[in-house]
Amino acid sequence: MMILHRVYISPDKVIVNGKALELTEKGSALLTQIYRSHIGNYPKFFKMDTLCKLGFVASELLLNAEGNRNFEPREDRAVILFNRSASLQADTNYQSTIQDSENFFPSPAAFVYTLPNIVTGEIAIRNKYFGETSFIVIEENDEKLIEQNLSVAFQDTDTKSIIGGWLDCTDEENFEANIFLMEK
Amino acid sequence: MDELIYKLKQEIIEALNLEDMTPEDIDENASLFGEGLGLDSIDALELIVLMEKNYGIKLQDPNQGKEIFKSVKVMAEFIQQNRTK
Repeated sequence: MMILHRVYISPDKVIVNGKALELTEKGSALLTQIYRSHIGNYPKFFKMDTLCKLGFVASELLLNAEGNRNFEPREDRAVILFNRSASLQADTNYQSTIQDSENFFPSPAAFVYTLPNIVTGEIAIRNKYFGETSFIVIEENDEKLIEQNLSVAFQDTDTKSIIGGWLDCTDEENFEANIFLMEK
Repeated sequence: MDELIYKLKQEIIEALNLEDMTPEDIDENASLFGEGLGLDSIDALELIVLMEKNYGIKLQDPNQGKEIFKSVKVMAEFIQQNRTK
């Protein structure tokens, strides 16, 4: 397996293939700044929870680094991500809409993100990927364990490349993405 | 009615996270779904919650939504006739 491109995002740092991007914002505002300065024209971004925003902007930077984006449907690319916190931030946000029995208004838009695998779906829908999509929750960012799981995914002969790696978010100001584009 | 339409536009922008839009960007006669604002089924559910939360209107029949959510103007007229708060 060979890593072709890598993107790292923390609340105060964005690195694409080893090169830091010059951005001024921090935390969730940083994700919006990446969207506005490097992506744009996808209003659905603003409806996403922080985990999805993080995965979306990280995958966009990764795919822009790859180049030749044509958004043609393809079945040979999988999206397989890992984290520790599942969809904790979205769960907390949703809980706040049902906490008070006097003000009980469950938000469908908040509820929809209470599954961490929604982010893999968002990336697949955006790019018309019809390969495997999985989101696996593990105890820590264990590169060896991640690599083992990705090598299993490559046993599917249709899968030629994977957007994979670590994508964790505990709240709007605490998150980490370390994702890569990998070929068999 | 104009005041309610403007307030409703503000509430829709906030509830649906239409970040880059202002009330002035929304045509009160344009379709909320499909070609108009391009809202989806989750947004429709969120609008149902908005009507209950802000105006005390509980839709008994979800199919009513098809008529009520035709446009902001139609939605405002329905709210004016049925609001309990």
